[in-house]
Amino acid sequence: MFAEFDLEMPNSLDEAVLALARSDGIETLTLAGGSSLMVDIRARRVVPERLISLARINELRRIEILGPRITIGSRTTVSDILRSNQVAEHGAALAASAEVFAGQMVRNVATVAGNIACGSPAADLVPPLLSLDADVVLTNASGFRTVPLADYFTGFKQDVRRPDELITAISWDVPGAKCANRFYKLARRKGDAITVTGVAVTLGAANGVCTKARVALGAVAPIVMRARAAEAMLEGSTLTVELIEEASLKAAEECQPIDDIRASADYRRHAVHMLTRRLVAGAWADLHLATEVS
Amino acid sequence: MQTRTKLNTIGRNTHRKDGIGKVTGTEQYASDVSVPRAWYGGVLRSPHAHARIASIDTSAAEALGAVCLTFADVPRVKYNERTNCAPPHLYRDRYVLDDTARHVGEAVAAVAAPTRALAEKALRAIKVEYEVLPAMLCAADALKDGAPKIHETILYRGKETPIEHNVAVTRLIEVGDIEKGFAEADSIIEREFEAAPVYHAQMETKSVVCKPAVDGSITVWATTQSIHNTRQLLAEIYGLPLHKINVKKIAIGGTFGSSIQMNSVVPICVGLAIKSGRPVKIATTREEDMYDHCRYQVRITLKLGFKADGTLVAGHMKTTVELGAHNTQGYHFLGVIAGFWVSLYKLPNMKYEGTAVYTNRTPSCAMQGFGAPQATFVTEVIMDEIAELLGRDPVEYKLTQYRGLGDTFWGQGPTVKSIILSDGVPELLEVGAKKIGWDGRPVPGTQTGRFRRGIGMARSFHCSGVGQPRKTGAEMIDYSGAIVKLNEDGSIDYIQSLMDHGGGTCEAIAKLVAEEIGVPLSMVGISDVDTNTTVYDITTHATRGVFAGGAAALKAAKSVKAKILDYASQLLDIMSESLVIEPSEELGQGVIYCPGYPEKRMTLGELAKYLHVNSWGTIAAVESLHPVTAPPAYVTYFVEVEVDTETGVVKTLAAALGSDCGTVVNPGLAAGQLTGGLSKGAGCALIEAHQWDRQTGELASKGFWVDGKTLSILETPLLENLHIDFAHTYEPTGPFGAKGIGEASINPALAAYSNAIYNALGIRFREVPITAEKILAALSTKKVRRTQPAQRELVNS
Repeated sequence: MFAEFDLEMPNSLDEAVLALARSDGIETLTLAGGSSLMVDIRARRVVPERLISLARINELRRIEILGPRITIGSRTTVSDILRSNQVAEHGAALAASAEVFAGQMVRNVATVAGNIACGSPAADLVPPLLSLDADVVLTNASGFRTVPLADYFTGFKQDVRRPDELITAISWDVPGAKCANRFYKLARRKGDAITVTGVAVTLGAANGVCTKARVALGAVAPIVMRARAAEAMLEGSTLTVELIEEASLKAAEECQPIDDIRASADYRRHAVHMLTRRLVAGAWADLHLATEVS
Repeated sequence: MQTRTKLNTIGRNTHRKDGIGKVTGTEQYASDVSVPRAWYGGVLRSPHAHARIASIDTSAAEALGAVCLTFADVPRVKYNERTNCAPPHLYRDRYVLDDTARHVGEAVAAVAAPTRALAEKALRAIKVEYEVLPAMLCAADALKDGAPKIHETILYRGKETPIEHNVAVTRLIEVGDIEKGFAEADSIIEREFEAAPVYHAQMETKSVVCKPAVDGSITVWATTQSIHNTRQLLAEIYGLPLHKINVKKIAIGGTFGSSIQMNSVVPICVGLAIKSGRPVKIATTREEDMYDHCRYQVRITLKLGFKADGTLVAGHMKTTVELGAHNTQGYHFLGVIAGFWVSLYKLPNMKYEGTAVYTNRTPSCAMQGFGAPQATFVTEVIMDEIAELLGRDPVEYKLTQYRGLGDTFWGQGPTVKSIILSDGVPELLEVGAKKIGWDGRPVPGTQTGRFRRGIGMARSFHCSGVGQPRKTGAEMIDYSGAIVKLNEDGSIDYIQSLMDHGGGTCEAIAKLVAEEIGVPLSMVGISDVDTNTTVYDITTHATRGVFAGGAAALKAAKSVKAKILDYASQLLDIMSESLVIEPSEELGQGVIYCPGYPEKRMTLGELAKYLHVNSWGTIAAVESLHPVTAPPAYVTYFVEVEVDTETGVVKTLAAALGSDCGTVVNPGLAAGQLTGGLSKGAGCALIEAHQWDRQTGELASKGFWVDGKTLSILETPLLENLHIDFAHTYEPTGPFGAKGIGEASINPALAAYSNAIYNALGIRFREVPITAEKILAALSTKKVRRTQPAQRELVNS
């Protein structure tokens, strides 16, 4: 399918946000890796008149640690994440999701911000980032603001980003030693497949007690969601097989899956139960506080 | 069994002649063909599953500079796009463009324009008013009393013939007396099965380029499995003499059967080229391709009667096939399901009732296995169950019942009968059982815990072509022609219209030619040909390429060899019967000599040059061949799976695949066929199924690849767990003892997976794909199931 649009290729972030500010009512979209956008254009789900490509803005492609924060530039590709020792160390779930993200060719172009901005509840990088309490930095011509990823999505394919804003970075606190982070993607096959259910779990512990629990669920609600009731059951307790089972069932209760071509709602709910149980138990074991599960 | 003579080329792994072109991306496929002045074609497709075109306005598209084609512009000739069946068995129900759309994605109009962008713009500018008709998206809806007709009439044996209740064709086949047979049975078992429609997922989407000439002739490059059938059908539709249509042989990016017919875009492209007077190219998108073809949806009920000692005495099969919007080959398909079924095991009394139904869905067409995967699924799962009921090892039990050496065999339907002369089944089952660890397999239903392992076995075959001994009355046309020519330097041109799907068929045939004449393989060239310069070949289908197409080329090579020896005899003063030709690696030539008289020798090049310089003429032969057998290319599968009972996901841990393809011509490529068969077969067994939206009639995937998944290399067992063995057999009726392999390699997959999952969980699955969800649902109701012993469903008569 052919599409006609103007393509602008700013050389810097300043040029990009100025270009975005100058939309003048023209349907404008930003183009990063294009692995999602080009599919939408091809299917004529969107018909942009103007695309602003971020391909030349190298300052947005970086992974760095400054003090207690790890920051990933928005145009960092999924392959970049896979090659990063820093992400492997401070965001194990994110690295795990990058590993099963689409296929090699898509990983080479798809970007972190693109995966967030596409708004899909099946976006694979989002559950891990949500489980890490990541923030999203939005920049426009007049400055920037920081939004917790947990508050970023407002509905299916809807978010708080304004038309003149660009996602420029994603950052989170470098987790301490007593923190474990896991992710699992269930799909109909191992590569190049859209997620049926994705679950990311972060656990923190002190003195044998779970001090922090994050359970993020992908592809089981209009947006990637946190199983807050399940998290509340885990936090403040010493995790046992029974408690993990109870919390996992709670997560399955909390999600709002639908039937689609990839799976039924019932199957997804069951998968949330199984994966949450498996990942929480695994993360707890990672914290050297292993309990026997299943 | 005949012993093999020493072979020089056959049985060795050699570099493929088209290999470098393929891996470096220089190979040309139809969509790569670039013709000066060519315009781009595009097709407007119906958004409705069933609709009459009330009006169609192309003026806005024409104002953009496009040439438009609607049903009013094309000859009103009803045709069947697959012409492999003899004319009395052709059901013609389609036009190049029609005033009615019968499935979402059916062509409604077409345009040609100087650029692709303009062609797409022009397509959007065409205004169509549809009168939307009720759509029947499944057989049950189509068969309902008073259901609207998808086709009022079709053209059958020269007459417009009404279609009642949307039943396109039925078939009744009987052998013996089933009532008597079931009366003799000690036990009777009856089961229902279903196999979902799937997408072929071939790499190349359907493409075509058509170049018209001022004299009214046309040249066509098309994705097709038969250039001659494409030419004949275009001649029929456009009323041209055959010599004015030249269809070029070109590389195919895989088909798995999806181009057995002349693809629907081919006559559209020809229509655009004729109307515009320009070359036109149409390269369909993946989405268009997914709406173009799929495998038949099949529901089968099978009732088998057997004696207490396991002897099968009677079988009754009822089959319902969903064709989709067009009947491309329903009659033949119904026949082969019966044939594949009864040719698996000895069955003295059988009755088969098949019904093929039109629905408003993507038309079905041949796909690798053509009925055998489904017939094998049903038969091999039920035989596994009978073995269990009898307390016998399925391998041992099946060996007592199967059709093997000396038995009658009619896999391609009741008109294609022959006697089995080569049979590697016992050998393959023994080797496969050993490699997979068959004797150590678990007892079904005894495992607990999250991961459960199981081993399943199934055996099948495919016919090598559709050859049969009768002179007239065949249901199928089946012959190949070939030309073999000795060039002036001793090299050989192998000239044949037979298509190579990518599996190396032509490479294998070049080896047969090199072997027969006695030249190094490097001295045989595979000619770049077309319909004008070749003799007829039916189609590369039915696992016939090497067996039947190769046999024709071998016949021509034998003629050429006889002439070579005749001339050499004159020049060397040696009786031709005493001369041999052998390839010499040192000389890079075939050498003609007389054993015992070392001085009496000359190279083939020297002979050819002598003939040329002295004006003796060219040595060449053109031959046609109709095979009189279609021997079974047996295949055996043992698969080991691991079922995750938390998610229902099935993983293939190991597989032992066996093939009896007679003499193995290309070992590496033959092994590749089996690996590919396992991969696609596992996909069909576990995840693949087309679904249609009941409201809109659209594919649930909307034609997008992302949700039209097949399995990938990541799901294939690791090489060390993938065992491939070939039987040591020789087929007396095959070229150098070879049979087919292609389709056979997928046929046992559905049954092998169902049996393996049964072995792991103790639950039978008779509906494929056996998805993770179905496994979980069955596990959650297993307790209920287990209170009903299998024996209760057996009727003791």
